[in-house]
Amino acid sequence: MSEFNLTEDQLDCLQELINIAMGQASDQLARYLDTFVYLEVPSIESVDAQVLMSGLSEQKNTLAVVSQGFFGHEGIRGEALLVYQEEDSGRISDLLGYEPDEASQDEQLIDISSILTTTFLNVFARQIENQMSYNAPKLLPHVQSNLAEHVQHMPFTWDIALKVNINYQVTDYSFNCNMILLIPEKAITKIKLVLDRILADLS
Amino acid sequence: MSPSVLICDDSNMARKQVLRSLPEHWQDSVQTATNGLEALKILRGGSIDILFLDLTMPGIDGVGVLQGIQKLKLKLNVFVISADIQPEMQSKVKALGAKEFIRKPVKAEILVNYLQQHDLL
Amino acid sequence: MGKSSSLSASNNPTKRAVNEQVIKQINDQVANQLNTGILVVDNEFNIVVCNRFLKVHTDKDINKIIGHNIFLAFPELPEVWLTRKLNGCMQLNTPGFCSWEQRHHLFELPHTRPISTDSEFMAQNCTFLPINTDENGIHVCILIEDVTDVCHYQTKLQKTLDDLALMSRIDGLTQVYNRKHWQESLQQEYAKARRYNKSLSLIMLDLDYFKLLNDNFGHQCGDMVLIEVSALISSLLRVEDIFGRYGGEEFAIILPETNINGALELAQRVCKNVAAAALTYNEQTLNVTISLGVAELSKHETNYEELITLADKALYQAKHDGRNQVSSLTA
Repeated sequence: MSEFNLTEDQLDCLQELINIAMGQASDQLARYLDTFVYLEVPSIESVDAQVLMSGLSEQKNTLAVVSQGFFGHEGIRGEALLVYQEEDSGRISDLLGYEPDEASQDEQLIDISSILTTTFLNVFARQIENQMSYNAPKLLPHVQSNLAEHVQHMPFTWDIALKVNINYQVTDYSFNCNMILLIPEKAITKIKLVLDRILADLS
Repeated sequence: MSPSVLICDDSNMARKQVLRSLPEHWQDSVQTATNGLEALKILRGGSIDILFLDLTMPGIDGVGVLQGIQKLKLKLNVFVISADIQPEMQSKVKALGAKEFIRKPVKAEILVNYLQQHDLL
Repeated sequence: MGKSSSLSASNNPTKRAVNEQVIKQINDQVANQLNTGILVVDNEFNIVVCNRFLKVHTDKDINKIIGHNIFLAFPELPEVWLTRKLNGCMQLNTPGFCSWEQRHHLFELPHTRPISTDSEFMAQNCTFLPINTDENGIHVCILIEDVTDVCHYQTKLQKTLDDLALMSRIDGLTQVYNRKHWQESLQQEYAKARRYNKSLSLIMLDLDYFKLLNDNFGHQCGDMVLIEVSALISSLLRVEDIFGRYGGEEFAIILPETNINGALELAQRVCKNVAAAALTYNEQTLNVTISLGVAELSKHETNYEELITLADKALYQAKHDGRNQVSSLTA
């Protein structure tokens, strides 16, 4: 299995940055949705791309994957995959407060994904003194058969993915999804440098 | 004389950030805890004046520590330092006796400002 | 030279103002020559900027756009939806997106293509960008990309793919399933029947004296008979039955969740209907009949091919017994 080869300190630092990003994103989301968002510490793990893809393809009740590319300065770029289970997708319209017929389920899924990805990554980027731009989010068709193919056709090669398990629980609605950040090796090297810089400032 | 301080956070980096933000002459009297259970054990000794407390921690979390302090009727100043910054959470911890709510990442000038406001510096 | 002039510009306030003016002119002209719509609204949704693209593609008076509320200037916009989108963009300070795949268009702009599409309006990808300015707070920039071509070719491609997928399953002459698809279906139905312990039956059928028909009336007549008989049989089946051309003049029907009695009953009905059909070719009446072999899956078979063999043997029996009849070895 591939690793980021992060030291214990680097991993702790990354986890803390992600916690803060998640906290601020949740706060923005809560204000936007006008509700309380229960925040669980997101777990992060680095996963071998091959293992991740075969795992996702085999997952029987995965309903939908929304993909969105992001890119910042200094070669920090990647693609965020938001993975939803069937039982959660139906709750999204309640969560977003959409009126019936206001938007299709596909559109709702894309909307919430884009909000989760961009709010989270904006705060994360700010902490590592970067700034992100985003591609339009896309709902991947026929996920089960096509996910591996989609990942193979990405505009950069990568073999390591950072998987951030997010559990959003909103008052009255529980809502789960996984955010998977696929990051090319070059970007990971850059992120490590930033982590080291932050750690050096502290010691 | 410098007060005795406890920093409770599961992240080593977060503990360092708080420590660095404290006045130079306090540094020697600072203890640390990596979770709620550890923190309560130290707090029971009764010698802690100021606690900097994270909320999201494995096991007993920050809210659990605040409840423990109330139960044990301990007298000390608690400053919550958290990534979970929603207004509901802020009012919840203040109701449980926290003096202030400080958002992560902690900044030295903000922390010092709060300490001055509460006549601790 | 560039270096020295920029140096002197920064030392000279009048010259610097000119440069900013030049940059503003460049920006304006670029914005106006872009083949992308640019529309900027303030936090009350009043239009602050509108580039030439939108002016050209709408017949609206520019004075009715700038300074006006976006929902008054463009009454076709979905107000509830767009209000949410714009508010989200400003509140979260994050970009928003809207793809033609979910919403064909937001603005009713006629498309300029000589191609026929499903919509009279330009297909659009829209991006909503939060813009922070020193004064008047946050604005939202709406970028409108013309993706009519993408939409057109994507739709065409999808239709072609659908057609291809269908063609790869269909027999060109008779329009019933071809052997490959039929056999894959049998494999699936066999697995299903085994898994859920359901009954499954099979009918193999063959046109009687088809070679003679071809020899006497020609292949065009033979083709016509294949087409007519296929259509007739199709009309007698349930939706869940799977009817395919096995080869030449041989056909096969998969009957899910059907026991031998049900299968025999259907086979008899098919046999009678075909025999009774009044088929003519060049004003000559044709006497077309078929022979049918029926088999039901029992616990003995270990694969779907064995079921085909069973039905095939029954078909041979029906031929042997004098044709225009149904036979079964399992009943």
